[in-house]
Amino acid sequence: MLSVNHLSKRYDDTVAVDDLSFEVRPGVVTGFLGPNGSGKSTTMRIILGLDHPDKGSATIGGRPYAQLKDPLREVGALLDARAAHPGRSARNHLRALATSNQIPLGRVEEVLAFAGITSVADKKVGQFSLGMSQRLGIAAALLGDPAVLMFDEPVNGLDPEGIRWIREFFRALANEGRTVFVSSHLMSEMALTADQIIVIGRGRFITQGSVDDLTATVQGTVFVRASDPAALAEALRARHAVATPVNEHGLTVTGLTCDEVGAVAFAAGLTVFELTPQRASLEEVFMDLTADAVEYGGSTLAPVAHE
Amino acid sequence: MSSGVTFASVARSEWIKFRTVRSTILGVAIFAVLTIGLGILITAEIHAHWASMNPLDKLTFDPVSTSLGGTVLAQFAVGVIGSLFITTEYTSSSLRSTLAAVPQRRRLVAAKLAVLAGSMFVVSEIVCFAAFLIGQSIYRGMIPASTDTLSNSAVLRSVILAGVYLTLLAMMGFAIGLILRQSPATISTFTGLVLLIPLIIFFLPASLQDTLTKFEPSALGHSMMSVTPRDRLFSAWPSTLLLVAYVAVVLFVGATMFQRRDAT
Repeated sequence: MLSVNHLSKRYDDTVAVDDLSFEVRPGVVTGFLGPNGSGKSTTMRIILGLDHPDKGSATIGGRPYAQLKDPLREVGALLDARAAHPGRSARNHLRALATSNQIPLGRVEEVLAFAGITSVADKKVGQFSLGMSQRLGIAAALLGDPAVLMFDEPVNGLDPEGIRWIREFFRALANEGRTVFVSSHLMSEMALTADQIIVIGRGRFITQGSVDDLTATVQGTVFVRASDPAALAEALRARHAVATPVNEHGLTVTGLTCDEVGAVAFAAGLTVFELTPQRASLEEVFMDLTADAVEYGGSTLAPVAHE
Repeated sequence: MSSGVTFASVARSEWIKFRTVRSTILGVAIFAVLTIGLGILITAEIHAHWASMNPLDKLTFDPVSTSLGGTVLAQFAVGVIGSLFITTEYTSSSLRSTLAAVPQRRRLVAAKLAVLAGSMFVVSEIVCFAAFLIGQSIYRGMIPASTDTLSNSAVLRSVILAGVYLTLLAMMGFAIGLILRQSPATISTFTGLVLLIPLIIFFLPASLQDTLTKFEPSALGHSMMSVTPRDRLFSAWPSTLLLVAYVAVVLFVGATMFQRRDAT
């Protein structure tokens, strides 16, 4: 199990991680979700002992990373696909890593084959595309057959085939009882990949739960079609609900459940044609949760005026 | 099955890394060509003009240090090899992979240093002995009954310490790299140390020059590889100890910073 306790880290005058605590359990894929610059990579670097926290700690099975006896056999991590000397071949890169942890060199060939890069193993890493580098990073993470795996934005640079491959791979790892911790800034990706999701923004913990839990936290809307939408809208507003007209007969209602909307329509003597609960998508949930926590927000750009 | 991150396993890993990049191979090749090639040029030049040389120059002529004269340029190659061994870890961010595999940073520095010092010592000794022997074969017959053979312990010491000097410079480049992390800054600092300090001292008043020159790294190197040291310089062994002390101090500072800093 991977555990982060009251972690804080600032770089110069920027707070990267602010009193962050969470736990990642084995047997499921846990997504680590947050906008760009929200502190995901910093947290992962601290877990790996690359950066030193100002306060708090991160432990793997109760011990800080620097105290692991066999780091690569306990944790496999892909933080930066380009973290290899561009002049060294992929095979030599993996051999050096394996040797440091006394992992047999035969394992290098196994992970090369698994990642599908055996044919380019003697090419210099600097000649690799981002997708190939990503596969090399995955091969490196698997070298020690570790129980805990950590991936920072693993989907970046992969083609659709690669993305499907990696999703199935995460699922398989979790099914084997491993701890799988995957960061992303794309909620749509997380919805497909992760069982559990931890959401952070501006270095702070926002929420944690399953995909279903998270969508439930944000109020859904109700779509209703009735014989007299104007009259129904008025009746709903009397109940302090927000009703927005959609199409000719439709209304989108916020603030009431389906049952309540049905009861209001019945009391007003209206015929209901359709009554549909509409759940918020994970995307909407994420936007809602992190609206105040976006580090780099874009704004609209005015068109260039032509003479 | 053996497991764990031991000093030996990290050293083996670093040895793989050291010899599988072109910069090391190229650096060693340039180092060998410069030392041996310049040695041949210098000794052949002296041999050609021996007859017309004035008697005083003949009296102070040192057949050992002149045959090792190529090291004046070659020392920059070893400095670069040492620097790049650590700075490319930063510039390629491969340090993240390295530290994820070996989180014990002191052990990592020690293993890297052992690989660098061990391999550069072997290479430097081979190259220096080759340059010396080639130089002596060019000088043969020029000086009657020369005692400057390897059976003379002072000569043997000079050739061995020439290799030690170059090994220590490679370690100095590595130590500066630990502190500065960027290849260009590290290499220019190393160059400044070996090239610029003597130049600066040269422009100081004569009294200051005399006191400072003998402490300066390239003067230490000159003493280490000379049979008889120049006036006002330390002799071979004190020079060696002083250079070892310099390298130890910079290494200590570098290793301490490496231990404390974030690996980004």
